[in-house]
Amino acid sequence: MSIITRPWGRLTLAGKIMLPLVALLVLLTVLLLVGFASGALPFLLGLGGQLVGDNIDIARFAAAATALLLFTVPTAFVIILMEMKLIAFVNLRVGPNRQGPWGILSSTLHGFKVLAKEDFTPTGVDVPVFTLAPVVTYLGAVMTIMVIPFAPGLFGLDMNIALLYFFAVAGLGVIGLMMAGWSSFNKYSLLGGLRAAAGIISYEIPLILAVVGVVMLAGTMSLNQIVANQAGTFADWYVFQQPLGLIIFFIAAAAETGRTPFDLNEADSEIVAGFATEYSGMRFGFFFFAEYVNLFIMSALTTTLFLGGWNAPLDAQPVLDFFNVTLNTALDPGALGMGLLFLVALGPPLLILLFTLPIWMLKSDWSFLKSLVVGFLLFNLVVMLFVGIWAYMTFPFVAGLFWFMAKTFTLVALFVIMRGTLPRVRMDQLMGFAWKWLISAALLNLLITAAAIVVLRDPSMPWN
Amino acid sequence: MTTEQTVRSLDDPDLFVETPGTIYDAIPPLPPRTEREAEFYTMRDGEMLINLGPQHPSTHGVLRVVLKIDGERVVDLDPVLGYLHRGVEKICENGDWHHAISNCDPLEYIAAMFSEAMPVMVAEKLLDLGVPRRAEYIRVLAWELNRISSHALFVGWLALDLGGLTPILYGFIERDEIVEMLAALTGQRLLFNYLRIGGVNGDLNHDFLSRLGDWMGNALKRIEDQQKLLNSNEIFVARTRGLGVIDRDLARRTLLSGPVLRATGIPYDVRRAHPYSVYPELEFTIPTREEGDSYARYLLHLDEIKQSIHIIDQVLHRMPDGPVMAKVPRLMRVPPGRAYVSIESPRGQYSAYGMSDGSDQPFRLRIHDPSFFNLQAVGLLMPGNLVADTMAIMASVDPIMGGVDK
Repeated sequence: MSIITRPWGRLTLAGKIMLPLVALLVLLTVLLLVGFASGALPFLLGLGGQLVGDNIDIARFAAAATALLLFTVPTAFVIILMEMKLIAFVNLRVGPNRQGPWGILSSTLHGFKVLAKEDFTPTGVDVPVFTLAPVVTYLGAVMTIMVIPFAPGLFGLDMNIALLYFFAVAGLGVIGLMMAGWSSFNKYSLLGGLRAAAGIISYEIPLILAVVGVVMLAGTMSLNQIVANQAGTFADWYVFQQPLGLIIFFIAAAAETGRTPFDLNEADSEIVAGFATEYSGMRFGFFFFAEYVNLFIMSALTTTLFLGGWNAPLDAQPVLDFFNVTLNTALDPGALGMGLLFLVALGPPLLILLFTLPIWMLKSDWSFLKSLVVGFLLFNLVVMLFVGIWAYMTFPFVAGLFWFMAKTFTLVALFVIMRGTLPRVRMDQLMGFAWKWLISAALLNLLITAAAIVVLRDPSMPWN
Repeated sequence: MTTEQTVRSLDDPDLFVETPGTIYDAIPPLPPRTEREAEFYTMRDGEMLINLGPQHPSTHGVLRVVLKIDGERVVDLDPVLGYLHRGVEKICENGDWHHAISNCDPLEYIAAMFSEAMPVMVAEKLLDLGVPRRAEYIRVLAWELNRISSHALFVGWLALDLGGLTPILYGFIERDEIVEMLAALTGQRLLFNYLRIGGVNGDLNHDFLSRLGDWMGNALKRIEDQQKLLNSNEIFVARTRGLGVIDRDLARRTLLSGPVLRATGIPYDVRRAHPYSVYPELEFTIPTREEGDSYARYLLHLDEIKQSIHIIDQVLHRMPDGPVMAKVPRLMRVPPGRAYVSIESPRGQYSAYGMSDGSDQPFRLRIHDPSFFNLQAVGLLMPGNLVADTMAIMASVDPIMGGVDK
């Protein structure tokens, strides 16, 4: 029996929980497949559908929460990879290039490595607080993502107080950092936790004050409504009515997420790793992920509030009309008749060969098999591109998601490049900047916005 | 009655777990050895001790500084030296003069060409040995290249300790090219072991000269380009300006030398003040700054890089022909006597006082390392600053612990 009990004994608590879960997942997958195959599933779903239909709100919330929780993990992987590659570019390095093509798997493999590492609890820590701290931090990050509208109809919750909820829950994250700093039984951690608390609480004030201007313009705190108000061309985005607000919000967001130049809470050259010094394994991973999820969420919120959310910068229709182009996206494959059979049967192989042959001829040292694989991948890419274009034109939520992600990841890239170029500010400079400059600027912004709204929207004025 | 014996397997998870209570018990304190120690380790309300080093991510070498902090502010500090002490001076006495060269190499391991010159120049002075002019020029060339590689790292380190990730890699571009170049000349990248009593080990070769030519062509422009990242950076300037100000009095009292001294406005450079080798024949200025803060030290290092490139340019134009090694016996008996030599290393006045009793081994070789004296200023500058600035001050003084602990 020892061959089973010994590895089990060596697993950490996280491993002991994960292992049955993996087995359960495998079992569920098999059951689902069998269910689909046997036709039993539709019958069961019919019964379940009745139950879901009665509690549609709760079901929608549960589904959205699960989906968004799962969505954060690949997002963090993508941002970490982006950071590795972009900072390498700034540093004139190559960056990760071993795991997968161009190193695109490296951040994912780092994630799995973190899962496999020892989950070590040092002697002397306050065990319950120490264990809960990463969870609290990650939860604070993940719960805020619920209210962000990704695309028309694609959001977790549409609250009329979404912004209030956002900042209330985002403030929870700092409690996790303080818990980590206090419970770690380490002076570096303590300093890091206190720095995080001081910095993040100071920067919440300009962050929220900068948003108030947008709220005044929009007249609502619902993020969906704020995005809807910015519909039109890019000139309708709030960035042009609130440029100062965007700058203040961006700086405060950098401080709020603990990014360079405000990464005092984990300043590696001063206090080793700050609040995360004593953490290892997946507990450290939670802190690490939370940082990047926070980065994504802050960029997403900036996009939503100032850059028009999922609205496209320009409507393509006038351009197409100008060039007299009509795109018919209503595909009717049945109209091809027998031709459809030929298209499906002969199209892909011929196209793959079309991509393969030039590669095989030009790359003299590549075998035909290798060229074939590359040609196959290229063919898939091209087909995906066309399917993407078709989906973009057919479904509004695909177009919305595309623009939302494009804007958000541009902002993320800006944060990342900031990390590559700027040194870190000092604690007193950080606080002084927030209290002396940012808050003053935010109040000035409010004053100007309020005055402008009163004057411009007054019905007795000649321009109304 | 048999005593109960339990054989504990290594798989037993409780094997190495201590009872949790024990670590809360304070280590019984040793009685303080000095009044200063008694004063330092008496804690007032709200103060705590924190260790910077010897295994801190950004200490320079293995220096340990015990900081007494009140919140984020440093109240007092207690430097603990000696983690890298190997007794180099004593080891030098046990080998002959040639062995001393490689023993002195790792003293200043970032710029080893300077520390290895110490036994060489002491022996030459005692022997009254004339070094061939070509060898002298090659030495100056190697010294100045090594100075640039050391200064390039200084800039990167300072930025790294302030949280900037990129300048250290830009600094390493220059350093790597120079180090590869010197490896072509000497065979080593870090500890060169190139100088010999009476000359140098090997003439300039094609590999070295071609690399040097490639590098010299755009070195100045590239270094200036890279410094734009920091020179025009608001945060970097705000962090370093007014940080760790050394005035002339303090500089004189603590025997500072090198860029740290010249940043206070005192134009003392051994190359001019007590000329050695062929420096009197070369044209160069001694850049100084008046402010004495970290930013002044940073700018001064950039100025010195430019001066070194200027010197290398002249050396390459004036390089004479001839041998690179004087005629010296293989077993070298140095006549009895005492000699003092000093040179200008990237960190200041590097000097040695050597005694010979007429045998082939040094009787005593006392090395004066500038890092040790510059480090004294760090202890006086840190109190009153924030924890974040301690490492920045240390980086701006740029000590090398190999020479401090010897």
